[in-house]
Amino acid sequence: MTSLKFRLGLGLILSMLVMFALLWFGLGSSVRQLMEQQLVTRLQHDAENLLGGVRFDRQGNFKLLEQRIQGIYQQPFSGHYFIVEMAGIQLHSRSLWDESLPLLQVAAGKSAQQRISGPQQQPLLLWVKGYRKGGKLIRIAVAEDMTALENAIHDFQNRLLLWLLAVILLLLLIQRYIVRRSLRSVIAAADEVNRLEHAEITVLDESVPEEVRPLVLAINKLLQRQQQRLQRSREALGNLAHAIKTPLTLLQQLAEEKLADADDESRRQLSRYSRQINQMVDQSLRRARLAGDSLGAGRFDLRRDLPALLDTLTRLYQDKAVTLQQQVDQTVQLPFEQQDGMELLGNLLDNAWKWANSTVAFSVRADAEGISISVEDDGPGVDEAMLSEIVKRGVRRDEEIPGHGIGLSVIKSLVEELDGEIEFGRAATLGGFKVEIKFRKG
Amino acid sequence: MRLLLAEDDVDLSQRLKRYLAKQGFAVDTYDNGIDVEFYGREVAYDVIILDLGLPQRSGLEVLANWRAAGVKTPVLILTARNTWSQKVEGLQAGADDYLGKPFHQEELLARIQALIRRATQTVAERLEVNGWVLDEETQSISNATQRWDLTGIEYRLLRYFMLHPGVILSKTRLTEHVYEQDADKDSNVIEVYVNRLRQKLGSDAITTRRGQGYVFGELK
Repeated sequence: MTSLKFRLGLGLILSMLVMFALLWFGLGSSVRQLMEQQLVTRLQHDAENLLGGVRFDRQGNFKLLEQRIQGIYQQPFSGHYFIVEMAGIQLHSRSLWDESLPLLQVAAGKSAQQRISGPQQQPLLLWVKGYRKGGKLIRIAVAEDMTALENAIHDFQNRLLLWLLAVILLLLLIQRYIVRRSLRSVIAAADEVNRLEHAEITVLDESVPEEVRPLVLAINKLLQRQQQRLQRSREALGNLAHAIKTPLTLLQQLAEEKLADADDESRRQLSRYSRQINQMVDQSLRRARLAGDSLGAGRFDLRRDLPALLDTLTRLYQDKAVTLQQQVDQTVQLPFEQQDGMELLGNLLDNAWKWANSTVAFSVRADAEGISISVEDDGPGVDEAMLSEIVKRGVRRDEEIPGHGIGLSVIKSLVEELDGEIEFGRAATLGGFKVEIKFRKG
Repeated sequence: MRLLLAEDDVDLSQRLKRYLAKQGFAVDTYDNGIDVEFYGREVAYDVIILDLGLPQRSGLEVLANWRAAGVKTPVLILTARNTWSQKVEGLQAGADDYLGKPFHQEELLARIQALIRRATQTVAERLEVNGWVLDEETQSISNATQRWDLTGIEYRLLRYFMLHPGVILSKTRLTEHVYEQDADKDSNVIEVYVNRLRQKLGSDAITTRRGQGYVFGELK
């Protein structure tokens, strides 16, 4: 069984059963012993009382003084019996009626006891002792019915059993509660790991019970290690990209300069190849980031990151007066992490700013279906033929504008990598280009 | 116009320096963060072109230090690290524009000119003052009737005058903005060039303020 609750419960039950069985037997037998001892003491007193009533006559015959015999010994089958014997002569209590008791052979000063079945099947405790009185051996056997005693003992044992069972039940319930409570922190840690996976948090909360702490600390350490490794490889990749791009710039500029007089075709080819290399570098950088940052770099936060992005855009386009119509629900949790969000929204808005005459509309909202982001501008837009080209082949809207890097194709591949849907079209009110991105729930 | 070009790749920086010099800019190049920070703070450049991946001190750090020290020179970041997060980071640190590698030289030139126009608050793309029109392409000056070609230094000097019309410009300031760091600087040479410009534009185009400097057009 792999259930911790079950295992702990089973362990508790087994150990308690063993302990309680011992307790039950131990207590039962001690109580029985105590009560029997008390009974024997009483029988002994009765016997001594009888001995005190033994009288001899001149012929050496003996008799018992009537007044020394307690009333209980006079009622037939009362459960209290005695026999006094001397030199083969026995005096029976009246309660014995015509029954007898086995008279155990004991020497003077010795005693013996035995359980026997007496008159009317009564379970009796028989106690016999030999006395020496007047130079003669007198044996006195006294017996008492043990039914009441047995009943009392059974009663006690039954009540004990009930109490023990109740205690076991109570302990089990308490244990269940404790286990469930302690396991809650483990379950909470598991939840946190889930949230970690969805980039909602970057480290696990370390204020957990002592037993779970090592696990949480180990996970956090692993995370940190992973993060460092990621950071290193990302830095290496960034350096490589940096290193490639500078000679690429030189190559491109050389081509422009030296081939200025050459035919257009070879110049265009060279410029296309260098652009392709550049795109590949950018793409692999982006992929590396996408693959790695599911662990812990934090989400794109509209409240924190959007103002910085919009500020950057207005600085970049200082010479252009663009009015931004914003309809952004700041509480929306966008399903991507910070750098991807910057890249996606940055490219989207930059594209809109570049083409807009005076106005850009930007909206982010969430509904039952999921999250939608839309960006519109009042620029020239694109015609139907171009639109289908964009959708089909991912042609860049700004392909022919030198230096204006990446465009719609980057946005498109980013959205696809983030499991979203993208639509291009004509802006209904502003009349320019419109991009709508949807991230469906689930 | 004097530019600081911070770029650690020697080939690229020499190439850009040649290109920009041809466009009428005095260009100083430095290839490490510490020199770049020092000269960027001490010399009154008109525009700084800053590569972020500089050795010894990163471009972002240099930029942040300048801005903290009150250096207001327009900064154009020129870098291979051109994701939007980096753009946002760069502009939040105080840059004025951002150009990713690889880039076209014309694109860089256009961005530099835009930054200069922004800094001198000239709106028109064509520099036109008091009926004089400066053509940046052909490096020539014209009025309604005539056109004169300008030499490199004449062009640099006249453009600086025309970007700051009606302002007293000292010989030192003119020297700083027309010549590179390592050029042979003799402020008397400025007098020679001002006289040459007067020969072309007429003696009243630039007036001399004794002990102070020169003014292009009417004093504001």
